[in-house]
Amino acid sequence: MSAPTSSAPASSTPASSAPTSWTPAAPRPPRGTLRRALRLLDVDPRRAALAVLLGTLALGSAVALAAVAAWLIARASQMPPVLELSVATVAVRAFGIGRGLMRYLERLVSHDIALRGMAHLRATVYDRLAAGSPRALLAVRRGDLLARVGADVDAVGDVVVRGLLPAAVALTLGVGTSVAMALFWPPAGLALAACLVAAGVVAPWLTAHGARTAEERGVRARARMSATSLGVLDDAGPLMVSGRLDGELDALRAADADLARAADAGARPAALAAAIGQLAVGAAVVAALVTGVPAVAAGLLAPVELAVIVLTPLAAFEATSLLPAAAVQVQRSRAAAARVLALVDGAGPGSTAAVGEQPSGDATDRPDAGTGTTAGPVLVATGLACGWPGRPAVLRDVDLTLAAGGRLAVAGPSGEGKTTLLLTLAGLLPPVAGEVTLDGVPLAGLPQGGVVRDVVMTGEDAHVFGTSVLENLRVARGDVTPDEAVDALRRAGLGLWLDALPDGLDTALGSDARTVSGGERRRLLLARALLADAALLLVDEPAEHLDGPTADGVLRELWHAPPTRRGTARGVLVVSHRLSPLAAADEVLWLADGQVAARGTHEQLLAHVAGYGEAVRAEQQETS
Amino acid sequence: MKPLDPRLLRYARSARGYLALTVALGLLTGALVVAQALLLAHALGSAVAEGATLSAIAPLVGVLAGVVVVRALVAAMQERYAHRSATRAVAELRERVVAHAAAVGPRRAAPADGASLVTLATRGLDALEPYFVRYLPQLVLAATLTPATLLVVLGLDWVSAAVLAGTVPLVPVFMWLVGVMTQGRSERGLATMQRLGAQVLDLLAGLTTLRAFGRERGPVARVRELGDAHRRATMGTLRVAFLSGMVLELLTTLSVALVAVGIGLRLVYGQVDLVTGLAVLVLAPEVFLPLRQVGAHFHASTDGVAAADRAFAVLEVPVPDAGTRPAPDLARGRVRAHGVAVQGRGGWAPAPLDVELAAGRVVALVGPSGAGKSTAVEVLLGLLPPDLGHVTLEAADGTSTDLRDVDLPGYWRQVTWLPQRPLLEPGTIADVLGADSPADRDRAAALTGLDAVVAAAPDGWGTVLGAGGAGLSVGQRQRLALTRALLRPTPVVVLDEPTAHLDAAGEQVVLATLDALRDAGCAVLLVAHRASLAARADQVVQVTGVPGSDTARAGAPEQVR
Repeated sequence: MSAPTSSAPASSTPASSAPTSWTPAAPRPPRGTLRRALRLLDVDPRRAALAVLLGTLALGSAVALAAVAAWLIARASQMPPVLELSVATVAVRAFGIGRGLMRYLERLVSHDIALRGMAHLRATVYDRLAAGSPRALLAVRRGDLLARVGADVDAVGDVVVRGLLPAAVALTLGVGTSVAMALFWPPAGLALAACLVAAGVVAPWLTAHGARTAEERGVRARARMSATSLGVLDDAGPLMVSGRLDGELDALRAADADLARAADAGARPAALAAAIGQLAVGAAVVAALVTGVPAVAAGLLAPVELAVIVLTPLAAFEATSLLPAAAVQVQRSRAAAARVLALVDGAGPGSTAAVGEQPSGDATDRPDAGTGTTAGPVLVATGLACGWPGRPAVLRDVDLTLAAGGRLAVAGPSGEGKTTLLLTLAGLLPPVAGEVTLDGVPLAGLPQGGVVRDVVMTGEDAHVFGTSVLENLRVARGDVTPDEAVDALRRAGLGLWLDALPDGLDTALGSDARTVSGGERRRLLLARALLADAALLLVDEPAEHLDGPTADGVLRELWHAPPTRRGTARGVLVVSHRLSPLAAADEVLWLADGQVAARGTHEQLLAHVAGYGEAVRAEQQETS
Repeated sequence: MKPLDPRLLRYARSARGYLALTVALGLLTGALVVAQALLLAHALGSAVAEGATLSAIAPLVGVLAGVVVVRALVAAMQERYAHRSATRAVAELRERVVAHAAAVGPRRAAPADGASLVTLATRGLDALEPYFVRYLPQLVLAATLTPATLLVVLGLDWVSAAVLAGTVPLVPVFMWLVGVMTQGRSERGLATMQRLGAQVLDLLAGLTTLRAFGRERGPVARVRELGDAHRRATMGTLRVAFLSGMVLELLTTLSVALVAVGIGLRLVYGQVDLVTGLAVLVLAPEVFLPLRQVGAHFHASTDGVAAADRAFAVLEVPVPDAGTRPAPDLARGRVRAHGVAVQGRGGWAPAPLDVELAAGRVVALVGPSGAGKSTAVEVLLGLLPPDLGHVTLEAADGTSTDLRDVDLPGYWRQVTWLPQRPLLEPGTIADVLGADSPADRDRAAALTGLDAVVAAAPDGWGTVLGAGGAGLSVGQRQRLALTRALLRPTPVVVLDEPTAHLDAAGEQVVLATLDALRDAGCAVLLVAHRASLAARADQVVQVTGVPGSDTARAGAPEQVR
């Protein structure tokens, strides 16, 4: 089944129009959450039916084995001709083999269903995030994103194997066994049905209730426990030196004690559920005995049949014994489903466009694309206020023009919204007020991919993929040659680093760049930006984590970035806390108090802006 | 991996009581199962064979009902205490791991397989709950109920007992055989599975970056392919892994079936009586039930057992002997490092280094990132024993004590350490500072620029900070911590990159603070990245690392493979 058609029904479900909040999911997800998530798993009903059939046959074999064995022994005690027992002896052995075999097949089919569903759901999530609003991605912390797409999607898939299929099997088998017993002796069948309901409905409900109680009561204690553990392990040294370690360990103990109390509260319903599960088996047996014996005396029931209705219940509760765990799983999966759906809904409707070749640089939707090859694109911000959606603007009244060949710098104290400005200029955040235009067209009006053709932003937290150096650079452009890659790395000041790598460009980097240092990572990201076809580069703090001379060298290379392959001169906007290298910029925007406090060339600011001059002198002192 | 690691009982005391209770309940369950089978067989047997009336078997049925009720109570009790003990045992292990890791230094306590210590202490150990609640009771039942029922069957009918007893040892033998034959395959499958799963997550983690270059559409197909490959790899592993389960079920169910057929045939010839036959029939599945349950819960408990193994490994890292000699008064003494060096991943960081801290002097450690500046600080503070050289504390009269022999809390009381992310206890800004008089406080705050922070805070000095100074930026927290250091100067002050999160104006504040601390007679150790900061020091010590040639390789074994 092809992906686009299968995701179509899901995307037509009305996504909630309420503003998406990224706070952890509410303790009780809304009704229908799990059903919506299950639809996204795209389970094939025929496979599901096969899994239920195999599961019912597996556990049914065990029940049938008990029933036939009871009949065999009771009948044998009447010493009939051996031939009369031959069918039963064969059946007993067949059921003995069938159980293991059917169970094996059922596990394979059900796991296959779940894994197909998880793969499909993961692809859907990726698709929606890739096609939907970029804000959805920016709003989730990286660890949170990985948890939702990793463990949470697994939990949604698990509900098939551990929740729904066992319930369906228990239902089919319970009805079948009760009806079969009722055919022999109706009161025994009724009693069995009642006991199965107690073990298969009441006990699971109680167990789930207990688990929820423990979870809800323990959620704060668990958060405190995690935070305290993290605090002690991250800062053991400072805590010991400042004499606060014992206090923190006491806090950990207290949090754990609260957690134990919460577990205790949840254990009470769980214990009741265990008792009910155990009692149900005995009650079904005793009920069959008590109602069956008078029936034998009254001639309503054959003695051999009495053995069957008394002993079969002993095997009939295996399916229901799995249900308490299944109920807990359903609950857990529902919470996971809510988190996954929040991610999907936040991104907006996914595209149903065909998945194919990468649209590298062939987005020609903009009216004047292709005409301005010599002049190059112009990015203009007018009266721009930027900030995160739903929060007050951090920066107001920004006017700037970045044209091909231009060199702009943004500087100012930390916390002034410089990164937010870059995200807005790159079209990844909508402006709070004012507008950003590219060649006269507002960014919001440009099609997907229309902006990145000319404007590329390299953020502080850009990702380094778990693949080779070359492939990491090819993120900028699919056809980067090794020579181009080496050239870009040298420009970014990574020549020596590259020479020291064991396999050169083919050296594998760890996921999230665990094996490159902070400074190397920044320069790698810079090399990547230099390789992009876009004429306008927005670069966030390229010199952070670098010592003075290296930082200045990297910035110098950036100011003199070579033109694009189409021959357009590069326009560069740099956010930097280092001020000396900004002398090469056409214009420096000095931010303070949420607005552009001063602007001009480096020399002008140096001469007329007190704070700027002071900062530059402090920096020069250090370089000398 | 052992089914029941004795270290678990050693390190988690609450597990001992729980194990005792579980064993007691397991023995009781054994007795009840046998009683139930015998009572049922007698009642049913006499009704089927002799047509006994309900009133004739009423006493048997009454006792049977009683046994059923007691079994339910035992089940409830087991469940009730299982959850409680699991939580307590996990908490005990967690506290030990966290405290031990803090004592030996989290760096040396980190699990060898690269797993994160924090994950181990929080979610990792929580995975022990299924082990305690489900696996352990079944393991105990396998050791009590299985032999008990087998003995009773032996007393009733030795032929059936022989069939069952013949099967029981086959269970572990076959499982072992399947395990050995499939181990290599499933390990390879597992590695493939994990790699494919990680690649999907990597693409997702980098989605923002791909978007910034307009390249987010291509990998959609790749995610699908990876998902499909992941499914195929997983199914390949599962096909093999589920085999052991199938062998187990086949053996046990078939064995029960053979017992039933055997009894049936011997009943025909009158070699056994009906009551015996029924009792054996009821007991036969009970022999295998705990074994099957152990198998079923084995997989759910493996994560927890693996976490416990890692926890034990952490707990077995030896704690260095605590020194006992009192630390000298450092206000007139000095701290001296003689050629200290620490061996890092594939090299020395720092390479041998001499540092001397004395009152009223500022010493700056400078050097490129990764040279071992922060490590040198840890060595000087006694948090990390150096691999070469030693640190001494010298009293005013010249007697010197090796830091290894010093009672460290006594030394630490004379030290103020501002790490790169300063730690602040929760409370109001005023509480955290703990100034004697508002005048002192305001003077110090004006120097460090904290006054501007306080002016902007919602409740001024009364602004409540969360743990770690939540509500303040790192730069603001640094100002707060600097102010506190000024207000309560200790003989030794260590500032680790105090300007890392500050702009040039903020840096001026740090320089002013530095002068004030020197004037107050503190021995200041400064880890400096910026030259302007180092220029203010009385002495600059260059820290160098000597990298091994194979640093990159050692850092990424899994990528290189």
